Amino acid sequence: MSTQGRVTINKLTTGVPGLDEIVGGGLPEFSFNIIAGAPGSGKTTLAHQFVFANATPERPAIYFTVLGESAIKMLRYQQQYTFFDPSRLPDAIRFINLSQIVLEKDLGAVLEEITREVEKANPAVVVVDSFRTMVRKPQSDMDLQSFIQRLALFLASWQATTFLIGEYAEDELRDNPIFTVADGLFWLHQIAERNSIVRKLQIIKLRGQESVPGLHTFRITNAGVQAFSRTFGLTARKRNPPGHRRLSFGVPELDKMLDGGVREGDSVLIAGSSGTGKSVLATQFIAEGLRQGEPGIVAVFEERPEAYAERATSLGLDLETPQKDGKLTILYLRPLDLSVDETMQSILDAVQKIGAKRLVIDSLAGFEMALSPGFRADFRESLYRMIFALTGIGVTILSTVEVDESFTEFPFSTYSISFLCDDILRLRYVSIDGQLRKVMVVIKMRGGNHAKDIREYEITSTGVVILGKRLTEYQALISGIPVRSDRPGPEESSQDT
Amino acid sequence: MNDAGSKKTIRLETDRLARRLLIYESKAGKSSEPGKSPTLRVYEKLRQNLGAFAGIAGFKSLASRALALARSEDPGFSKARVAEDGTLQGLGEIEHQVDFDNAAVGEPSSEAGIILIARLLGLLHIFLGETLTARLLRVTWPGAALDDCNSGTGETREHTG
Repeated sequence: MSTQGRVTINKLTTGVPGLDEIVGGGLPEFSFNIIAGAPGSGKTTLAHQFVFANATPERPAIYFTVLGESAIKMLRYQQQYTFFDPSRLPDAIRFINLSQIVLEKDLGAVLEEITREVEKANPAVVVVDSFRTMVRKPQSDMDLQSFIQRLALFLASWQATTFLIGEYAEDELRDNPIFTVADGLFWLHQIAERNSIVRKLQIIKLRGQESVPGLHTFRITNAGVQAFSRTFGLTARKRNPPGHRRLSFGVPELDKMLDGGVREGDSVLIAGSSGTGKSVLATQFIAEGLRQGEPGIVAVFEERPEAYAERATSLGLDLETPQKDGKLTILYLRPLDLSVDETMQSILDAVQKIGAKRLVIDSLAGFEMALSPGFRADFRESLYRMIFALTGIGVTILSTVEVDESFTEFPFSTYSISFLCDDILRLRYVSIDGQLRKVMVVIKMRGGNHAKDIREYEITSTGVVILGKRLTEYQALISGIPVRSDRPGPEESSQDT
Repeated sequence: MNDAGSKKTIRLETDRLARRLLIYESKAGKSSEPGKSPTLRVYEKLRQNLGAFAGIAGFKSLASRALALARSEDPGFSKARVAEDGTLQGLGEIEHQVDFDNAAVGEPSSEAGIILIARLLGLLHIFLGETLTARLLRVTWPGAALDDCNSGTGETREHTG
């Protein structure tokens, strides 16, 4: 059926970074919404952000305060947020206290007063804070239901977008008429996990449009509430078709092993134990990108950006100049109390800011350790979402991961994340002729014709250098304890899928 | 400026602002409410406008604190009290002292009214900040040009026209 002639619902910005994406592009105009949650979960701040983002002198916002937090104290604290612009009061934003009426009269009188003020001011936004305290006085069910329905009907008819704020517990969701009448239901959770507080937001209900389901992390800073969508704000971005370009590592022999290089938009994992040169390879990958004019991001967790750049210099790779030119950002992420989504949002912001084409995460183990314990359970899932989102817009991601060296196994990763990676490069130590040498092998290359060869390499002053042909004179190389075979001489390198 | 210096400056500003509001009301109220003192007129306007957004209880608690502060400076307020609805009662003799008929020559006969209003404005300054307080006053006295009332540098102008 044609959509011609159907009503178009305008979407209003929530004023909360990240929340517009979560609610599906903005809050439906004239909707009747509930913000619910425990004390201190950020309900009032979220409402203020919406008010400051949408109120104008022509269509102001009316903020009704009812009992609960004193209006004077609320304004005193809310002024501390950067979004709070006192010059908007009272022309665009008006605060009206209903405490006396609520205490002395019934809900009918409250509705009458709200009606009077709304008709007088013609507001675009109406907030009642706290609605819960307003209806806490004993009422019969019919009174309450009738009040809510009349209030919702009146405010929608007067073309106001409404927020009712209330301290509700989740088990109150059932049998409460307010939740039935509401068009939108925002639930703010605040959960203590070990020594950390995890704040999460859920859109339980939103009529008329598709919101992003699930629990989204949010944070309250001096800028107010900031939400982190589980899709990292990239759902609206056009997905790039798989690239045909091959990205060089800057190591010619390795590029050959990869059938010309890493496919653009791939997620690459370099796995190996400590000292095998994972970071060196990652640095060469980002430096080669810069050399070819591709901006890059390096997210480091185990060393500071200065040290990372200095180590690159020792390999003859200049990471200082591209940083000054805005072509490279080295992010040092050791926030400890941040959620995984916030950390990933920092990476995404940096990627989008400089238009990065290559991203290095060095390393996944450091990344996980930088998170507070409460968030580690979400690590793998969030990593999956970030990789999916970034590779979808054409960014090539190279992650390093440390694996425990074993001489009985050949693990690729301790995170069971190999399914997240298009390509896996495994570095490992082998014991040969009384020396601990290094070998590398391409384990996996999705959709590519990679070499099966196990190649020895060294790390020199110019980085990773692959030595000679594949090691044909040894057997059981991947065990780390190979035995010399009787077969003579190296054979030609093999390419296969 | 250190904390003590800042407090002193704020106090001077609120004293000056209170004086100007009282002078403004003494002129404006001559015809509209000749029987009511300028102090009560200023107080009542603050009660109505502040009470609208802070609630009567919110205003009453601030007014009670302002009265207590004023009482410590002028014992003449000893019998005054703030009623449940936030109105000021029991000013008694002190109400007659705050007669601003002399304001035309800039010499009010008593400082008592200034003290009470200034302490109330001082509390607003502390709790709401300079900008919000100034905006509240502009809404309450739209006829008075109070644009520089929070500048701390200029004169607060008033006009009755």
